[in-house]
Amino acid sequence: MKQTSTVGKSNKTVLVLLILGLSTIIFPLYMTVVIAFKQPSEMTNSISGILSLPKVWSLQNFREAMEVTDFWNSLKNSLLISGLTVGLSILIHSLMGYTLGRNKSNKFYNFVYLFIVSGMFVPFAILMMPLAKQTAEMGLANWFGVILLYVVFYMPMNIMLYSGYLTNIPLALEEAARVDGASTWLTYWKIIFPIMKPMHATVAVITALAVWNDVMTPLIIMAGSSENTLPLAQLNFQSQFGTNYNLAFASYLLSLIPILVFYLICQKQILNGVVNGAVK
Amino acid sequence: MKRKGLRSLALAVGLTSLAPAVWGCASTSDGKIEVEIVQYKPEAANYFKTVEDAFNASHDDIHLTISSPNDAMAILKTRFIREDYPDIIGIGGDINYSYFVDADILADISGYEGMQNVNEGYLEIAEALELVPTEGTYILPYAANAAGILYNREMFEEHGWQIPETWDEMLALCDEISAEGILPFYFGFKDTWTCLAPWNAMAVELAPADTTKQVNKGQTTFTKEYGELAEKYMALLPYGPDDPFAYNYNDACTAFARGESAMYPIGSYAAPQILSVNPDLKMDSFVMPASDEKESRTLNSGIDLGFCVTEACENKEAAYEVLNFLYQDDTLQKYIDAQTSVPCKKGSFTLPAILDGMSEFIASGNMTDYQDHYYPSEMSVDALLQTFLIEQDKDAFLKNFDTSWQRYNRDIIRMVQDYEAAHGSAE
Amino acid sequence: MTKHENERKRTFLLITIPILALFICFNTIPLIRGAMYSFTNSRGFGSHDWVGLRNYIDLFSDARVGKSYLFTIKLAIVTTIVVNVLSLILALGLNSKIRAKGFFRGAYFLPNILGALVVGYIFNYFFTYIVPALADMTGMQGLSSSILSSPNKAWIGVMIVCAWQAIAMNTIIYISGLQTVPEDVYEAGGLDGATGWKQFKHLTFPLIIPFFSINMVLCVKNFLMVFDQIIALTKGGPAQSTESISYLIYNNGMSGGQFGFQSANAVVFFIVIVVISVAQMKFSSSKEEQL
Repeated sequence: MKQTSTVGKSNKTVLVLLILGLSTIIFPLYMTVVIAFKQPSEMTNSISGILSLPKVWSLQNFREAMEVTDFWNSLKNSLLISGLTVGLSILIHSLMGYTLGRNKSNKFYNFVYLFIVSGMFVPFAILMMPLAKQTAEMGLANWFGVILLYVVFYMPMNIMLYSGYLTNIPLALEEAARVDGASTWLTYWKIIFPIMKPMHATVAVITALAVWNDVMTPLIIMAGSSENTLPLAQLNFQSQFGTNYNLAFASYLLSLIPILVFYLICQKQILNGVVNGAVK
Repeated sequence: MKRKGLRSLALAVGLTSLAPAVWGCASTSDGKIEVEIVQYKPEAANYFKTVEDAFNASHDDIHLTISSPNDAMAILKTRFIREDYPDIIGIGGDINYSYFVDADILADISGYEGMQNVNEGYLEIAEALELVPTEGTYILPYAANAAGILYNREMFEEHGWQIPETWDEMLALCDEISAEGILPFYFGFKDTWTCLAPWNAMAVELAPADTTKQVNKGQTTFTKEYGELAEKYMALLPYGPDDPFAYNYNDACTAFARGESAMYPIGSYAAPQILSVNPDLKMDSFVMPASDEKESRTLNSGIDLGFCVTEACENKEAAYEVLNFLYQDDTLQKYIDAQTSVPCKKGSFTLPAILDGMSEFIASGNMTDYQDHYYPSEMSVDALLQTFLIEQDKDAFLKNFDTSWQRYNRDIIRMVQDYEAAHGSAE
Repeated sequence: MTKHENERKRTFLLITIPILALFICFNTIPLIRGAMYSFTNSRGFGSHDWVGLRNYIDLFSDARVGKSYLFTIKLAIVTTIVVNVLSLILALGLNSKIRAKGFFRGAYFLPNILGALVVGYIFNYFFTYIVPALADMTGMQGLSSSILSSPNKAWIGVMIVCAWQAIAMNTIIYISGLQTVPEDVYEAGGLDGATGWKQFKHLTFPLIIPFFSINMVLCVKNFLMVFDQIIALTKGGPAQSTESISYLIYNNGMSGGQFGFQSANAVVFFIVIVVISVAQMKFSSSKEEQL
C-alpha cells in the first residue's frame, strides 16, 4: 500500500517535468507551423512579428509546395527507397548481428565485427567520389543503387544494436530448440528473430529516419536522373541568394507526417518487452 | 604537350570505362538529337523551364533538357568523375570555371558565330579567368551581376540625400544619415560570403584587377595591394548594426526591405529576396566610391552565368543551335527581368530599374570583375574577412592572406611560373 | 553434438560471407580508392599528379585543421555527456507509468525529424533575436548579444542544437534497453528496499550497460562527424571558430579544390575515430564483464 502511494507521487513529478521539457519542442514547432502558413511579405525580424499568427489561414503554401516538389511522385520515391531499405536492413542486419553477437569469443567473427563496425566511422566525403564512379560502372546509378548503399552504410550501427540486444537474450532458448532437432537457420527465424521484435522496431525507426532525411546519397548517385526524393525536391526552396522559407516550411511539415506516423506505429513494438515473457 | 597527353589519357579512360550512363549527345529512339544542359542557378529554374518548353516546341530535330539542380557544382563534379558529361553547362565566371578550363573539360567555342555579339568587356573577363593564357574561348557570357550599394530611394528623396561619388562624400553621407537617427548600412556578416560584397565593390577601385595574377608571378604581395582596402572596410563597420555578425543574409535582406537601414552593400542578385519581403520598396543602386577620384570609380561586375559546351559533346552544331536560341534578344531580356541582372550581349536591352544608378557604367563598359572570382574557395577568404572584421587586426589579416594564398595556390603558382619560364614574360 | 556444432558453424559462415562481401564492395573498396587520392593533388576532377606524402606532412602543420580537431573534440565530449544524461532521464521518465505516454513519446521524437533548414532557421532566430531580448528583459548582460556571433561562445549554440536533435534517438535506444529489464528484477529489488536512485544504480543501470555503451559510441561518433548542424547554424563561423572536421573535409574537398589534401585529412580522421571508438568499446565491454 505504502509503495503504491510513493509511485503515484513520483509519477506526478515525472509528468510535470515532461510537460516542462515539452516546451523546448512546442516552441520550435509552433514557429514552423506559423511560418508555413504565412506569406513572404509577413516575414519580419521583430519578435512579435515572427510569433504572430498568419493573417490568413490558407493552404496556398502547401498547395504550391506540393506542386514545386512534385509531391506525390517524390513521396512515392521516398517511400519506396525508405521502405525497401528498412525491410532489407531488418532481414540482413539482424541475421548478421545474430551471427556476430553469438560468436564474440571467436577471433575471426570478432574481427569481422570490429571490421564492419569501424565502417561506421568512414567520413562520407571520402567515399563520395569513388562511389559515384563505382555505382555508375556497375549500372547502379539509380534508386536500387541508393538502397544497396544504404544497406551497407547502416550495417555497422544496426549490427551493433542487434548484437548488443542479443547479450540479454539467453542462449538457453536456442539450445532448447536445438534439442528438438531444429537447424540453426530455422531456430533463428522461428525463435530469435521474433524475440528481437523491439529491436527491429528500433532499427526500423533509426534507419527509416536517416534514409528519409538524407540528401547527399541520392544527390550524388542519382544525379542526372530525373527522379527526385522528397529531400532532393526540397532543395528547390533554397539557394544562396534567396530562400522561400514559407514554402520550404510547408513542405517540411508535409514530409514530416509519414515518418511520424511510422514512428508511432513502431514505438508500440518497441514497448512489447517480449523477452520478459520468454524468460519466464 | 601536356594537354594533349592528358586528353588522350582521358579518352583512354573513357573508352575502357564500362559506364552505361555516358549520355553524350546521343540520339533518342525517335531520331531526335538530345542536348542536355545543367545550369547552376536554381533560382532561375522557372525561367529555364519555359526556355526548355519553348525550344522543344519550335524544334523537331533536337530535344533539349535543362536541369537546374541545387548544389549543381557537387553534381557536376560527381558526374565528371564518372565520365558522364552534360552537353552544355551553365556556370559562373569564377574559380571553378578556371579549373574546368584547366582540366580540359570544356570545348573551345571561339568558332561559334554568336561570340561576335558578346560585349567585349565580358570576353576579356572570361579570358582573364584562365589560369594560364590559352588560345581558345570556352564560355559564352550570358548574364552578369553588379555589386555596389543598394539604397532606399524613398528615404533618400525624403531627406534630400545625394548619391556620393567619392569616399569622403560617402563617409559624410553616412554621418548625415546617422545624425537623423537612421542606420546607414545593414550587414549580414553571419553568412560569411556577404563579407565579400563590400570588399569586392571597393577592391575594383583600390586594387589592380589582376592582383592575384601579379601575386602568382611573385611581383607583389597582398599586404601591399590590400592595405588601403582593409582600412576603408574597417571604417564602414561603425555605420552598420551593433553586432553585424549576429545577422545572416536573410536577416539583412529583411531588415533593409523593412526600412531598418538606408543602404545595403550587396549585389543586384539580392533584389528578388528583398522584394519578396516588401514588394512595394523603391530601391536603386549606386557604384561604391572608394577613393577621392570620381573618375576612378568602376562598376564591380562579373559573369554570373555563362554557357560552356563540354569537350564530350558529340554534336556541337546542335549545341550551338541551343546557344543561338538562348542568346536571342527576347529570351535574354526575359532572363534579365526575372533575375535583375545585366546582359552580356551587345545591343539594346531594358535594364531592371534597380540598376538605374549603375546604367551609365554599364553603357560605357566601365566594369571590373570581382576579385573573389580569382580566390580558391577552399582558402575561405570570406571567413578570413569575417575574422578580420571581428578582430579588427589589419596587419595580422594581410599577413595571413599572403601566407594562406601561397599555401592554397601552391600548384597553380608553380604552373604559372612554369608557363612564364616557357613563354617568357611577353605580356 | 559435434554434428550440431559443425552445422552451426557452417550456417554462421554461410551467413557471414555474402554480407561481408557486400560490405567490402561498397565500403572498403571505395574507401581504399578514396584513400589513393590522398597521395595526389587532385581537385576531384580532371588530371592530377602524385605528390607522395606531401598532403600528410601539410596536414600536421595546418593550423586550420588543428583548430578544427580541437573544436570538434571539445564539442563531441560535452555534447555526449549532456545528451546521455538527459536522454537517460527522459527514457526513465517515458518508461514509467504515466498518462499520455504515447503522446509524450511522439512529441519528444519530433526534433529528430525536422529538417536541417527548419532547425537552422528556427535556432538562428532563437539565438539572434529571442535570447538577447529575453536577456535584456531579465538584465542578464552576458546573453544580450547573440552567442552565435561570438567566436568564444558559438560552439555552445552548436552544442545545444546537436543535443536537442540527438536526444530523441538516444532515448529510443535507452527505452528499448529498459524493455529488456525483466519486471521481476524490480520486484526482487523492491523486497530489498531498493528504490529511486539506489534501484537505478544497482539494478537498472547494470542491465542496460550494453545500451549505454552503444549510445556512447554512437554519440561520440555522430558528434565527431558533426556536419548538418554546422551547415544549418554557423557554416563554420564566426571567425572560423566552428569549423568541424567533416565540414572542412566536405567544404574544401568536395566544394573546393582541395580534394587530395582533404582525402588525407579524411584518412587520418577515420583512423582517429576508429581508435577512440575501439578503446571505448573495449572499456565498456570490460565493465560489462565485471558486473
